[in-house]
Amino acid sequence: MNKKVITILLITVFLASGLLLAATVNLKFLHRWTQEPDRSFFEEVVKEYEALNPNVKIDIQTVSNDAFKEKIKVMLGTAEAPDVFFTWPGEFTNRFIRAGNVLDITPYMLEDGSMFHYYGSQLIPFVYEGALYGLPYRLDGKVFVYNKEIFAQAGIDSAPQTLDEFMEDLEKLAALGMKPIAFGNERPWAVSHYIAALNQKSVPEEIWEIDTDPAIGTWTDPGYVKALEIYEDLVPYFNNFTNALKHDQARVAFMQGQHAMMYLEIVEIPEIERDGPAGFIDKIGVFPFPATDGPGNQSYLVGYPEGFVVSSKTKHPEEAVDFLKFLTGKEMGRLELEMLGWFNGIKNLVSPDEVKPIVFETTQLILDSEKMVNWLDSSLHAKIWSVYSVELQKLTDLVTTPQKAMDAVIKIATEVRSEF
Amino acid sequence: MYVLPAIAFVLVFVYFPIVMNFYNSLFRMNSYSDARTFVGFKHYVRMFNDPIFYTAIKNNFLYAAFSILFQVGLGMVLAIFLEGRFIGKRMGTFFRNTLFIPSIISIPAVALLWYFIYNPQIGLLNGILGVVGLDSLKTAWLANPKTAIYSVIMMSQWQYTGYIMVLLVVAIQKIPRELYESAVIDGANEFQKAVYITIPSIKSMLAVTTIITFIGSFKLFSEIYIMTDGGPYNTTQVLGVYMYRAAFKFDEMGYGSAVAVIIFTITFLVSILQLKSFKST
Repeated sequence: MNKKVITILLITVFLASGLLLAATVNLKFLHRWTQEPDRSFFEEVVKEYEALNPNVKIDIQTVSNDAFKEKIKVMLGTAEAPDVFFTWPGEFTNRFIRAGNVLDITPYMLEDGSMFHYYGSQLIPFVYEGALYGLPYRLDGKVFVYNKEIFAQAGIDSAPQTLDEFMEDLEKLAALGMKPIAFGNERPWAVSHYIAALNQKSVPEEIWEIDTDPAIGTWTDPGYVKALEIYEDLVPYFNNFTNALKHDQARVAFMQGQHAMMYLEIVEIPEIERDGPAGFIDKIGVFPFPATDGPGNQSYLVGYPEGFVVSSKTKHPEEAVDFLKFLTGKEMGRLELEMLGWFNGIKNLVSPDEVKPIVFETTQLILDSEKMVNWLDSSLHAKIWSVYSVELQKLTDLVTTPQKAMDAVIKIATEVRSEF
Repeated sequence: MYVLPAIAFVLVFVYFPIVMNFYNSLFRMNSYSDARTFVGFKHYVRMFNDPIFYTAIKNNFLYAAFSILFQVGLGMVLAIFLEGRFIGKRMGTFFRNTLFIPSIISIPAVALLWYFIYNPQIGLLNGILGVVGLDSLKTAWLANPKTAIYSVIMMSQWQYTGYIMVLLVVAIQKIPRELYESAVIDGANEFQKAVYITIPSIKSMLAVTTIITFIGSFKLFSEIYIMTDGGPYNTTQVLGVYMYRAAFKFDEMGYGSAVAVIIFTITFLVSILQLKSFKST
C-alpha cells in the first residue's frame, strides 16, 4: 500500500474518532448507595439507558450516605460537578438552588407532558419558588412497624390510633418485661423523624412552615415545647443506651423480637424482608404516628421522597434531563420495585396483586396522605439543626428539659436570621 | 540558585496556603457558591464567644497531656525496658514488633475496632466488666459525656505508644555501650543507668517525640469524627472536627478558615517554646 493511501486512511481514522468524541455525550451521575442490591440497580439503569442512547456514556460515582452530604457541596463548587445527582428535597436542596447550582427542569417536563406522569404530591417537595427542580426516585414515609405476636401477648388486639391509646399500649408492653420501642439515635437523623411528626401535630401548620425558612423562622410557638414534652414521655419506653446505638443495631434487636415496635421508614420494609429472620415480614403490621390533640392536621404523614436533580453547570442539559426522566420513569420504576422493593413517583406503577400486601399498604399510606411532612434534619438550616440535634440527644438522655431545648433553638434561629 | 526550586516549593505549598487561609478567614463564603462577603474579624469574635470552641481547645490540650504522658512517658519506659537486660534479645524484638503493630493499622480500622469494644450492649469492655463483677461500671462509653473523650484518648494511646517507643528504641541503640560499662564498674543499678545515662542521651529524641505528639494532638480529626463526631452534646469536640463542621456542615468556609488559623497559631507557638525549652536544658 503506498504512502499516499496510508496517509489518507490515517487522516480519515483521525477525523472519524474526533467526530465520534465530539458526538459522544459524557454524563457524570452521582448517587449515595454504595452497597448491594442498590449499586447493581443503578448500574442496570445506566446500562439500559446507554443501550437505548449509544452516543451517551454515563460515569457512575457513589459516595456513602453521611459522606455524601459534605462531598456534594464541594463538588458543586468545582468544574467536576456531577450532571445528575441525588438529593433530599427541602432546605438541603434549596440552598443549592439559591446558589444557582440546580437546573430548573420545568420547561423540559412540560414540553412533552411527562410532568403529569408523576404523583403531584411527590413532585411538590422538589418545587421551589414556583419552579420544578427534581424528580422523585423513591417514595418514603415513617410508620411504626410492630410485632403482632408481641402485641397479642400484651393483650393488644389493634394498633393504637391516638396518643392516649399509644401510651396505654406502651405500659402493657412494658409489663411484659421489655423496653417496647427499639430506637438507635447515635446519628440524630433518627430523632428528627419523631420530632418532625410531633412538631407537625403540635404546632399550627402555617407557623411550622414559616419556621423552616431560615430567613424568617423564629421557633417561638409553645407547640414546639409541647412536642418535646410528648417525646420526653416516650423516652422511658426506648431501649437502653439509645444515643449509643446505631439505627441498624436497634433494627436488628427489633427483628430478633427484643422489642415490640420501631419507628421505621417504609423503604426499610423490603430490607426487613431481605435481612430479617425467615417469616418475620409476615408477623409485622404498621401504623402511622398516633394522633394527638394538637392543632396540626393529624392525618399528615412524616416522610418525603428522595430524588435526583440536574446540575445547572451541565454541558448537556437535554441529555441529563432525559436520563433523569428515564431513571425515575415507569420502566425503571418497575425494575426498582423488582430489585429493591421501592416505589418511585410514577402513577399507577403496579397493581396491588403484583407486590406483597404490606408493601402496597404502606405505599398507599403515603399516596393517600393529605400531605407529607419533611424530615426535620433535611428541612432545617444546617446550623439550626446542629443545635436542635444536640438538644434532642440531651432530651433523649433526660439531661435537659423541653423548654431549655427550645430556648437553645430559638437563640440559634435568631443568629441565623441575622445572616440573611 | 540551586536552592531556588526548594524555596519555590516551600513558598507555594507551605507559606502561600497559610496566607490564603488567613485571607479566606476574613470572608463569609461556602464551598458551592462563588459569592463571598467580607466580614473582617467577625469570625474570630464569634469564635472567642462560642463555648464549644473552648470545649474543643480543652479537649485538644487534654489529648496532648495524655499523649505526652502515655506515648512519650510510657513509650520511654517501655523502650528502656526492652533495650535493658530484663528480657532476652529475642523477646525484646518480639514485644517491640507487637507493640508497634497498632500504629500501622489505619485509623478508620482502629476506630471501628474500638467502637465495637466500647459498644454498651455487645462490646468487649462491658462484657469483661460483667464477668469480673463490675456491672456498676458498665456504661455507654462513647455516648456518656463523662467517659466519651477519655475513651477516644485511650484508644489513641493504644495505637501510638508503640510507635513513639520504637523511635526512642532507635535513639537508645545509638548510645555508646562504653557509658553503660563505666556505670556498671561504678556500681550503678539499672534505674540509675536509665536516669543518668539513657534519658539525658536521648533528650533530643524526647524533644522531637514530644513536639510530634503535641502537634498530632492538635491535628486530631479522624478518631473523633468516626467514633463520636464531636458528641455526645459536643463534649468530645476538638478543633479539627470543629473546623470541619463549620466548613462542610454549616457551609461556612470562612469560619472554618478562622479556626484553622487558630490551630496553626497554637501549634506554631508551642513548637517554638518546646524547642527553646529543650535547647536550654
